[in-house]
Amino acid sequence: MRTRLLTVVGVAVVIAAVAVFARLARTDVAGQSPAPAPQAGPASLPAEAATAAEAGETPWGDPDLQGLWSYDLEVPLQRPARYGNREFFTDEERAALDKERAEILGESDRRYSPGTEQDVGGAYNAAIFTTHKPVGRRTSLIVDPPDGKIPPLTPEAQKKRAEIRAFQVALLQATDVCKNNLPGCSGGKYGPPSPRRAEAPPHYLTVAAAGGPGGGGGIINRSDNPEDRNLGERCMAAVLPDFGGNTGFFLQIIQSPGAVSIFYDTGQGQGWQRVIPVTANPHLPSHVRQWWGNSRGRWDGKTLVVDVTNFSPKTYFQGSYENLHLVERWTRLDTNTIEYAVTIEDPTTWTRPWTVKQEYNKQNDYANRHYKEPRCHEGNYGMVGLLAGARAEERAFADGRGPDPATKCTAGCGGFAAGFGDSGEDSNPLTR
Amino acid sequence: MRRWSTGSMILVALAAAAASAVVSRSVTRDTGEATVAAARTADGTPDFSGIWQANNEANWDLQAHEARPGAITQQGVYPYAYARVPAAPVLALGAAGGVPASIGVVEGDGEIPYTPEAAAIRKENGEHWVDRDPELKCYLPGIPRAMYMPYPVQILQSANKINMAFAFTSTARTIHLDKVEEPPDDTYMGHSVGRWEGDTLVVDVTRFNGKNWFDRAGNFHSDALHLVERFTPISRDAIRYEVTIEDPKVFTRPWRISMPLYRRLEPAMELLEYRCIEFVEEFLFGNLRKQQLVKRWEGETMIIDITRKVPTGDKLYEWYRR
Amino acid sequence: MRIRLNGSMISVAIAAAVVGAAISASVTQSAGQASRPGQVAGRPNLSGIWQANNEAHWDVQAHAARAGAVTQPGVYPLEYARVAAAPVVALGAAGGVPASLGVVEGDGEIPYTPEALAIKKENAEHWIDRDPELKCYLPGIPRAMYMPYPFEITQSTNKIHMAYAFATTARTIHLDQVDPPPTDTWMGHSVGRWEGDTLVVDVTSFNDKTWFDRAGNFHSDGLHLVERFTLATPDVIQYEVTIEDPKVFARSWRMAMPLYRRMEPNMQLLEYRCTEFAEEFLYGHVRKEQLVKRWEGETMIVDITRKVPPGDKFYEWFRK
Repeated sequence: MRTRLLTVVGVAVVIAAVAVFARLARTDVAGQSPAPAPQAGPASLPAEAATAAEAGETPWGDPDLQGLWSYDLEVPLQRPARYGNREFFTDEERAALDKERAEILGESDRRYSPGTEQDVGGAYNAAIFTTHKPVGRRTSLIVDPPDGKIPPLTPEAQKKRAEIRAFQVALLQATDVCKNNLPGCSGGKYGPPSPRRAEAPPHYLTVAAAGGPGGGGGIINRSDNPEDRNLGERCMAAVLPDFGGNTGFFLQIIQSPGAVSIFYDTGQGQGWQRVIPVTANPHLPSHVRQWWGNSRGRWDGKTLVVDVTNFSPKTYFQGSYENLHLVERWTRLDTNTIEYAVTIEDPTTWTRPWTVKQEYNKQNDYANRHYKEPRCHEGNYGMVGLLAGARAEERAFADGRGPDPATKCTAGCGGFAAGFGDSGEDSNPLTR
Repeated sequence: MRRWSTGSMILVALAAAAASAVVSRSVTRDTGEATVAAARTADGTPDFSGIWQANNEANWDLQAHEARPGAITQQGVYPYAYARVPAAPVLALGAAGGVPASIGVVEGDGEIPYTPEAAAIRKENGEHWVDRDPELKCYLPGIPRAMYMPYPVQILQSANKINMAFAFTSTARTIHLDKVEEPPDDTYMGHSVGRWEGDTLVVDVTRFNGKNWFDRAGNFHSDALHLVERFTPISRDAIRYEVTIEDPKVFTRPWRISMPLYRRLEPAMELLEYRCIEFVEEFLFGNLRKQQLVKRWEGETMIIDITRKVPTGDKLYEWYRR
Repeated sequence: MRIRLNGSMISVAIAAAVVGAAISASVTQSAGQASRPGQVAGRPNLSGIWQANNEAHWDVQAHAARAGAVTQPGVYPLEYARVAAAPVVALGAAGGVPASLGVVEGDGEIPYTPEALAIKKENAEHWIDRDPELKCYLPGIPRAMYMPYPFEITQSTNKIHMAYAFATTARTIHLDQVDPPPTDTWMGHSVGRWEGDTLVVDVTSFNDKTWFDRAGNFHSDGLHLVERFTLATPDVIQYEVTIEDPKVFARSWRMAMPLYRRMEPNMQLLEYRCTEFAEEFLYGHVRKEQLVKRWEGETMIVDITRKVPPGDKFYEWFRK
């Protein structure tokens, strides 16, 4: 009898002790919990993940947009009028355009008058922009309106643009650009240095890139302050929406449940990144503004639809500022293609919304050709040189040793059409 | 009545004690206190997706330290190191301009094992913080510093990549769980390759360019820096973050830091921008403006005057390279 | 064999259960601090070292990032184009203000009366001269709960003590009956009670000398708070506070935020005894000889001139 009781009690003690120690072990800290530990090795995905991948889905069941993608086609933003409402080139037209562009770019003896600022700009272009992306299928990035053009500006936007333009040409007034009636001076005329050179610009100017002559964006011919220079020179050229600009771009997309991250390797060291919350939560309060706006994503079938609002007044996109509103649609068409479509609207700037479409190509994930170090800022000797050089020119002029800096051009001068001529038959046939 | 032997009573007592330990343990844990287990992905690994932030003083100085009167100090009325006062650049911030105390994040004896030459550089860095700390210039902050700066980090964990997006200067790094080619050049943020060891994400980080600091105290490294990071869940909302730091050009042996990272638990938390490139233009280029912009500030008990100077010759450009 | 329950067996079992509970209580651990019971007298135990991990101490309302704690107009006369001002320009990116989703509930607005709103704006414009934090004055409640320094809660049965690293200040929450304080206070008079697992604290008897944040949000001596502390997990307190002050706000409003346990294994509260640190800020203008005058870096020189406000203004400055 005693033996059996002891046995029963002994078993109970052992069971209880095991229970105590098991609980202690499980609730103790840091990496010692005895949970199952499947090794997700690099070479093979676990079985469930592999099936999901075949279905174009992430392991948690969302459409899979992940990987490295590139956009490396030459497609103008707006469609040249001669192509009317056609969305696509024929293969013959593409080949002809490539040939014509190659011939223009290959002309090594096309020069502006030697020694002019345009000649120097042109030389920079000839050295840098020796290769170009091939012409894409699309006649323009804009697919709506049907004519492929940015819709008309509202009167309010036109007025703002005119005010900026007037300021621009005032700062070019005393330069060769106006003396020689180059396109950069259109709307202005040659004259002595304008007193407006001492004014702050009439609106906050944050143009992404130097761009072509004239424009309406607002690059100004001055280096009094870092704020006078364009965003590219300030190493802040990354904008949303980003269509890849001159250089095209590489995207890295990584998803997790409820979030999609996109790193844009774009421009020259101007890369940027965003994380899109996939949520029904409302946007930020309207007084909180961001350079890249505030994104809200949701899945619509296989498409990631992203609503972007809350842009900062410092945003500048084709004339739109803080009232910019985007609706993006990211769809993986097949293993190797993502279609990106974005509807762009701002009733204070354009009379109707417009839509851009692009196709991105899958790149080799192993090669990992994705530059995630937008180090423009960490090596921005250009800004230092622009400012220090301008101060040196002022001192030289004050000492009678140099020309009036007001007669020199450092922005909007022309000659910077990426290897093409500014106008005429040597200009880029895609924007002519 | 049967009499129980002493032995039986002891055994019964032990059993009851053990049983009640289990019972009371589950009672304490069940009054809303159960530690929430780590989130897991479909394949069973811990899921670190979410927004995280350190909650310590490591970005000021990795090593244990007392509170200091200012981020920059000068000698007070006494010539003692412990009696310094805030210096001009931070004086106007009063108690908001000091450095909080810290128990430190360096493991072991808390020392950072610099070579004698490197220790001298670290000391100089500390003395020239304003001119040399890349954080002030809004340069890419590097790893591990980006993990414990006072700004949030969003982790997106996918099957073969883990992305970390940082609010500070909107930078990011990718941890590759699959095979990829090495980058063609050294980098500020390093090249991160990860693998799972049980519930720990182990990340090997190399290919640094040597331009970063570990903190605001001047602790630094060279382009030979090699890190092994370990991310282990403490619970669903806390990660134990450990880093083994190796750099034979600077340290005589490897050393380690460790700290918790905490999930930001606000509902609808999202990463917002700290796009400081624009914020630092005055700091970086204000000495080259045509007309000085930030010159003077006048309060009720003090006036601050800023004079800018342009370093001569090549020093102008070298200052940006620091 | 039948096991028969009898008196001695029962008493042995009970005694053993008590011992077992004592053992388990001493063994209960969560990552971080020394062994600590999950409960005190049947209530969730809030003891330990905690810290907010957000941007509320800058500005409790949602805001985009700013170039500096103090800004001035840039080259444009626009609000969104200001630059870091002289008091912080030497700190570069370390001197800015991070963005925040805000901690004010509802529509995120603080319902100031029109007169009070004007004062808030002035406070913000005169931050350096008016924010009591810079003078290392007692920070008040709720500000002390979310300043970027840790605090330690010691929970007993009839008192709960909160000790703050900042200025090494503290407050006691009385769960028992005590006489109210004889005068108004910086840190308020806190009376607590448990509602289920939530500690509800009524705080009154404030003076008007503390702010809510570095953005100038303030109150009067009519301030009345109701705080609620609930353990969401063993390492997270959900902290909510309802704020009422009929002299300043048109209605009551609420803030809410998580407070996180500092989970370092050897965490302890260290001093931020800023009274000494702030002496130059507070009294440097009446030293016999100016002590902090100039700092020279490679691209900028910072010169400090001190001034003594005339007449009564000299004393009023310390009262702000």
